[in-house]
Amino acid sequence: MSRTLTVLDSAPVDHAANAAAFNENEARVDWHNESLGLMRAKRDRAVEQVPEWEALRAVASSIKEHTLSHLDEYLTMFEAAAIANGAKVHWARDAEEHNRIVHHILVEGRVQYLVKSKSMLTEECHLNAYLEERGIDVVDTDLGERIVQLRKEPPSHIVMPASHLTKEEIGETFAEHLGTAVGLSDPTELTAAARIHLRERFLRAHAAMTGVNFAIAETGGVVVCTNEGNADLGMALAPIHIASMGIEKLVPGPAELAVFLRVLARSATGQRVTVYTSHVHRPEVGQALHIIIVDNGRTEQLGRPDFWRSLKCIRCGACMNTCPVYRRSGGYSYGATVPGPIGSILSPGIDLRKYAALPFASTLCGSCTAVCPVKIDLDAQLYRWRQIVVDAGLADGFKTVAANVGARVLSNRRWLHGGGAIIRIIMKLIPMNVMRRLSGSWGKTRDLPVPPGESFSSWYRANRPAKGPP
Amino acid sequence: MSSRDVILAAVRAARPPAVARPDVSMLRGATVDLAANFTAACVVAAAEVVTSVRADLDSLIAAAYAANGRQVSAMSTTSEGVTRPHSFSDTDVFVCEAVIGVAENGAVWLPLSRLRYRAALFLATNVIVVLDRARIVNDMHEAYRVVNVAEEEFGVFVSGPSKTADIEQALVIGAHGAKSLTILLLDE
Ligand code: SF4
Repeated sequence: MSRTLTVLDSAPVDHAANAAAFNENEARVDWHNESLGLMRAKRDRAVEQVPEWEALRAVASSIKEHTLSHLDEYLTMFEAAAIANGAKVHWARDAEEHNRIVHHILVEGRVQYLVKSKSMLTEECHLNAYLEERGIDVVDTDLGERIVQLRKEPPSHIVMPASHLTKEEIGETFAEHLGTAVGLSDPTELTAAARIHLRERFLRAHAAMTGVNFAIAETGGVVVCTNEGNADLGMALAPIHIASMGIEKLVPGPAELAVFLRVLARSATGQRVTVYTSHVHRPEVGQALHIIIVDNGRTEQLGRPDFWRSLKCIRCGACMNTCPVYRRSGGYSYGATVPGPIGSILSPGIDLRKYAALPFASTLCGSCTAVCPVKIDLDAQLYRWRQIVVDAGLADGFKTVAANVGARVLSNRRWLHGGGAIIRIIMKLIPMNVMRRLSGSWGKTRDLPVPPGESFSSWYRANRPAKGPP
Repeated sequence: MSSRDVILAAVRAARPPAVARPDVSMLRGATVDLAANFTAACVVAAAEVVTSVRADLDSLIAAAYAANGRQVSAMSTTSEGVTRPHSFSDTDVFVCEAVIGVAENGAVWLPLSRLRYRAALFLATNVIVVLDRARIVNDMHEAYRVVNVAEEEFGVFVSGPSKTADIEQALVIGAHGAKSLTILLLDE
């Protein structure tokens, strides 16, 4: 079945220009690249300790495919169980309806102060602005999210929202908004200041909103994974808990949940599991539990034979941490709620014209596909979107390889002194075994060139993953 | 049509070709020395593990936090007698007993009945979790076979003290929740 793609009239995202702006500060680009590379290395070390990793990925992928291919059944199963548990279940077709439902719940509960834990869905719905316009005091409580909220910026990464900022910049923000000493930039002291500031917000909140990492169809429960304890403080203290979830968050039962909990944190930060994995099944005495199930374009994506598998995503962020383009162009260059490789296959489905450039913001190196814990074929889907963008006549200016965004990001001026420069830079960014695979015929027949200033062996030792993806 | 019915109809119309539900019952990690692996995983998660016997429980708790202020114990025979969760905001030490521990990641399962005062787990500065050494399972697959997560209103796997790395990815212990987590691993 072929479906019409939405082509809305909105300003297209110019990824190349955004990336070029980010690249003006070379020191920052290097720092950003390395700090995300560190996350990627942590993920590799964690994965190496799990001999059955590939089996877990394969099962995680087929659980998601099974669930998505029976999604109507699992949604109604979940709904029935949640209602039986005493939760109130709401359905929202789009962002506007989601926001209206949240606002209605807050008005009914006479809520003035709302605390939120991290939820990319509420970012996608632009909920904060909607509620603030209506007089609700909204505080994001995840440290990274609070930092960007104080700066009036969106998150630049789905797991580490403030990963584009230096500690000095965060220190300035805290000095301005939290009254910390000017010049304070120690992460421990800044975190301590945020703890005091936010503790007070938790204690006065009337309602808490959380995202949902997994919803268990058989039991009607929602599972929230965090490290800081912010979601739990909100849920345990406020009399109203609102949990918002996309329709794709379902898993069949607790046995399947176990598989995802084994891969999520390892892929995201290299932890074995998040500090808190909270299971909410029923409201406590005196509390109300609301669950909002949101479509907002997901059923359309589900109906696209080439792209429905993007809904398997568990938002671990590994594809961003490993992406040579993301690492050197920054999260904002994508102009979308979800940046990086996964964002570049989700966003064109929402608005093809606006996000036409994103499928080209990739080298198609396949590193994202190699790390994805649910085996989404990200590079293949990026390639497929390129074809659609070209067919729709929307590729003017970036469809040729010379103007390819990925190449432009990577062809930093400093290295443009001789042939093969781009290859050298790509080599610096991609694990060797992935590089070998993608380098094709020439990679097999001769040694890869050595990046300047380093011997090949020392470079390889420093850059190879402990045990890389296939 | 309600939004519910619109969404469900759209899902039905969009359903990809059916994929069978995979068998996950075969999944399990290698059999290991459960207590040793659990302890090692706790260390990675920045939790402290103290090994002892149950008879010494009271003196262990007293010794660990003798100098501290308010102590709330979910294991106490007397009740705190409070209803407002906010009243635990000045808790220095919270003590509770886990149902199981998980060797692969150092997590302990704490359902509401074991917490009694749910908010105290997250408001307390220091948390002590008692765990019977015989109640350690290998991995998350086994954990979900052993506990029924839907049995109670709320339940949580906790692995280490609260932490964040949101500022330049520098690890900071004690973000919003506990600044320290001590596991008392006891032989009966
Ligand atoms: S696409 Fe895969 S790697 Fe990327 S965030 Fe989603 S689950 Fe993680």
